[in-house]
Amino acid sequence: MALKQLALGGAISLIGSAVFADCAFENDVPVKSLSAGFEAWKAVTDAMSECGNFSAELDQEFRKKQPAAFDANPSLYQIGGVSNGTITPLLNAGTIRPLDDLVEKYGQNLAPNQLIKVDGKTMAVAMMVNTQHLMYRDDILSDLGLDVPTTYDDVLAAAKAIKDAGVVDYPVGATMKSGWNIAQDFNNMFAGYGGQFFNADNTTTVNSEAGVKALEMMKALTEYMDPEYLVSDSTYVQQQFQQGKIAMANLWSSRAAAMDDVAESQVVGKVKMAAAPTAMEGGAPATTMWWDGIVIASNIGDDAADAAFRVVMEGLDSDMVTENNDEAIWLIAGYKPTDLAAGVVATATATPAPPAYPSTTQMGLLHTAVGNELPAFFTGERSAEATLAAVTDAYTTAAKEAGILP
Amino acid sequence: MKFRTLVAFVGPSVFMMLLFIAAPLVSVLMQSFQVTQPVMQQIEVETCTPGFLTQTCITETKTVPLIDEETGKTQTTTTWVGLQSYRNLLQMPRVWDAISTGQWGNILQIDFWKALRFTLVFTLLTLPMVIGVGLAIALAVNNAVRSLRGPVIFISLLPFIITPVIGSLAIYWLFVGDGIITSLIERWTGNDIAMFAQAWTIELLMYVYQVWHVAPFAFVIFYAGLQTVNMDTLESAVIDGANRWERLRHVIIPHLMPLIIFIALIHLMDTYRAFEVIVGFRSQAHVISLQWLTYDFLTPDDAGNRAISRASASAMLTMIGIVVLLILPLRRTWRDHKGTT
Amino acid sequence: MSSKALAQPLALRVASGGFLAFWCFLAAFPIFWITVMSFKSPRDAFAANPADVIFGPVTRASGQGLSALDIVLGGTALIFALRWAFSALPKLIAKWTPPAWIVLGWLVGAAVYALAFVLAFVGILPVLLGAINGIAGPLGVPLIGLTTEHYIAVWAENAFYRNFINSMIVTAGVVTVSLTVGTLAGYGLARSGSNLAFWLLILALIFRALPHSVLVAGYLPWFINSAEILRPIFGEISPTLYGQPWAVIAVLVAINQPFTIWMLRSFFQNIPTELDEAARVDGCSHFQAFRRVIMPVMWPGVITTGLFSFLLGYNDFLVTSLLLDAQNQTMVPAIAGYFNRETTTTDQVEAVAAAVSITAPLFLLVMVFQRQIVSGLTAGAVKG
Repeated sequence: MALKQLALGGAISLIGSAVFADCAFENDVPVKSLSAGFEAWKAVTDAMSECGNFSAELDQEFRKKQPAAFDANPSLYQIGGVSNGTITPLLNAGTIRPLDDLVEKYGQNLAPNQLIKVDGKTMAVAMMVNTQHLMYRDDILSDLGLDVPTTYDDVLAAAKAIKDAGVVDYPVGATMKSGWNIAQDFNNMFAGYGGQFFNADNTTTVNSEAGVKALEMMKALTEYMDPEYLVSDSTYVQQQFQQGKIAMANLWSSRAAAMDDVAESQVVGKVKMAAAPTAMEGGAPATTMWWDGIVIASNIGDDAADAAFRVVMEGLDSDMVTENNDEAIWLIAGYKPTDLAAGVVATATATPAPPAYPSTTQMGLLHTAVGNELPAFFTGERSAEATLAAVTDAYTTAAKEAGILP
Repeated sequence: MKFRTLVAFVGPSVFMMLLFIAAPLVSVLMQSFQVTQPVMQQIEVETCTPGFLTQTCITETKTVPLIDEETGKTQTTTTWVGLQSYRNLLQMPRVWDAISTGQWGNILQIDFWKALRFTLVFTLLTLPMVIGVGLAIALAVNNAVRSLRGPVIFISLLPFIITPVIGSLAIYWLFVGDGIITSLIERWTGNDIAMFAQAWTIELLMYVYQVWHVAPFAFVIFYAGLQTVNMDTLESAVIDGANRWERLRHVIIPHLMPLIIFIALIHLMDTYRAFEVIVGFRSQAHVISLQWLTYDFLTPDDAGNRAISRASASAMLTMIGIVVLLILPLRRTWRDHKGTT
Repeated sequence: MSSKALAQPLALRVASGGFLAFWCFLAAFPIFWITVMSFKSPRDAFAANPADVIFGPVTRASGQGLSALDIVLGGTALIFALRWAFSALPKLIAKWTPPAWIVLGWLVGAAVYALAFVLAFVGILPVLLGAINGIAGPLGVPLIGLTTEHYIAVWAENAFYRNFINSMIVTAGVVTVSLTVGTLAGYGLARSGSNLAFWLLILALIFRALPHSVLVAGYLPWFINSAEILRPIFGEISPTLYGQPWAVIAVLVAINQPFTIWMLRSFFQNIPTELDEAARVDGCSHFQAFRRVIMPVMWPGVITTGLFSFLLGYNDFLVTSLLLDAQNQTMVPAIAGYFNRETTTTDQVEAVAAAVSITAPLFLLVMVFQRQIVSGLTAGAVKG
């Protein structure tokens, strides 16, 4: 077995040199990409490398480098992996090119749904959607005769029932690590309570009834969580699920496949997916929709862009999807939604539908402010109102510095 | 030594330091008094993003930077704002407010003061512990059978040489959630314990980690120092009737004094810059350090914004803090310097 | 402390020995523990019960583990290998290398030993013991779960050896350049009593105190755009500094300079001035005096300082993670890549395996140079 793995390793290590196994064409222009490093990107870049002359940089800290690297002339990378959050700086700086002519030339297999259009121009090609939705232990809920929660009040009731029955100590898990994660959790809940993030003049409206309600609901949920929730990121929640320590969580759909991973999970087949719970009666599921996709740099020659786009099309083809069906909720033709996708489908098709995460400069600033100020509320140092006032202050300072507010 | 010879010797070193440290330092100093922002414009944009099967398009007014037609880069303006970034950082009105109303705790809700509090306590509290533990190990090793010393020194050095990120993670895993040590303590005490749920337990673990990590450095230097203790002085102290403790206090410690100062100097500098320990222990929610604050300002968010001016201001304040802390041990170096010439 | 007057009472000796044992346990335990974790399946590695982590029931159930026979034979081999490293290896190296090249001899010796060790314990022994286990009956049944799959995944599938080579390039560069530049400066500063020298030292100290994150963030735009910025001066050959190991080496050397020159200065101060003054009287210039008189006696201090440079270059995370691209990535940032926002438990155990792999060369280094560190420091590399 060791020998086989060694051989496999040897083959994979040849990425970057000319291996054009299943590629439709032989790429002779050097192409580099910079993207995040999760499983879906590994799958896509592996498929791209089949065309040869391609090297991928998979780096979870790509946000630090991407804007500057695309701003250089010539751009250090031809291909960039982005999401609806991280496309903003590239879009703002004009360092990614419109793809309409390339889509027309090589994009016959793309679905219209995949084309990210800004002002009528295609700026990116999406490959997958991602969202936080409810994952629950089917066996625990049905043992206790509980229905699948559809609102957060249901979640609280179910959590209480599970805790009272003593099935697990901490029925609820949440991605509430301070910083980016807790801010995203707040965004979900705030949107769920019908909150709008900004006024027309770019001032923020988080300090409102929806904001207070969102914080109170989050606090109520923490009663049923492992007290270390402020260090708990997606991986930690996933492990809690896998080790059978929690029964419910609003978790990223990209984590769904891990629940059934025999090597890691003790709860294979027991975790089911459902739509994200709603926060208020008649509201949208309390979550936001995300997409991941690729962009092509503008500071490169047209030949290079041409080659890069062809490589991308090779990476985003149906063969790749068939081989990696469960790694993501693909938007690409050939994807067969399994049970694992049920949560995303239910969330995305709900009426009213949850909003997409807004890709704006203000949102980036607000996200940071929320992530830094919220923990003080959960450690009990500040009231909800004071916390939201502090968020507003922090946002205003940052927005003035960034030139968003006068 | 002539001036020109000195320059020839130190030239390459000074050049590298000027290029890679002084130049960025000057630019940081400048940036702490300036704000550079893009020229913004409001435009109406239609954005289409994928749902699961269909696309949703929304039209909204967006504030975006203006792009220069000629260079193709974002237009920016740089304005001199004086001490504004420092004011944003220190938030003095809120501090005075807290003092005048007597609610001192409120000061610690401002990021900078929170970071300063932790950094100072972390630095000053671990300093005597590192020196104490280091000295204790050095004395104990010096006491040990000669054949054991090699392996013991080797094991003792491990916490110091291990990559800091990995060292702190190794300890983090022992305690986080139902980590083995936490569950061990739980079994002993019968209580449910969460080490990472409140600030003081995290801080305690961080102190333990820091002492674990730095004490070996102090140890190896003290141990080297102990090899050169003058045996004659020691024996005459015995003849004078000094007991073990008095010999330690009056002969050994004075002999090691320069080393203690050296370690204090290095420790103050390195610990005041604490950063990896915050990342390793994921303590951002409860405690942060000054360098972590600077780093956080500099880390771009999803939209690519970074608070460079405030980061520069906080870096300058960090530096000033270190210089103040170092004045005391450095006065001695100055005296030595005057003494040798 | 051989003098009879200094003999210690038994209680003190026991207390001191006990304390030392306790400390050694504390020092080694976290590292020992991550080593154990790295050999288990993900479910065992993060189990709450220590016994589960050590004995690895899930790992054992999958048929991977050590039998009683493995433990006895492998353990014996391990003890012999370690004892040989401490007793026979130093003699062998001393015998085969000329005294002037002893440092190089040790490095080569250690590398060869490490290679032989890995080959024996990963390559030959498992095959051999596997064959014996097959015919040993009950003695051959796995007792302790143990799997090397994470190491195979890290080193072969994820091509960690490339990161290893990059780390070696960066570290070797940092140590060499930093010592070359640093010894010159340290000597100059030690022999000059001028106020300029003093203020240079203080300036270096302040430089050392600067938070690295600020410096590094300052470099990034310049490094990325360097080709564009330098074009007017160097024309088309102007390089993009971002992603270049030598550019990172230069940065790390600069960051490390303050500490290096402080250590070396104190060391040179302990070399009697009479030595080089005598050479100067004989008509040598300062440089000649440095080369002929000082260089032969400076090695203990240089080795100690070099070790600290090594640690800095090898362990650096901030600089290398931001300024190197994937092709030139060193080991520490590569490990951080396993802990990303979208990681799995298997990734985490692989990261632990990678972390243990990173620590191994450090082990070897300290084992080899431990005596030199102490003697170097004793010789006065540190005098405050």
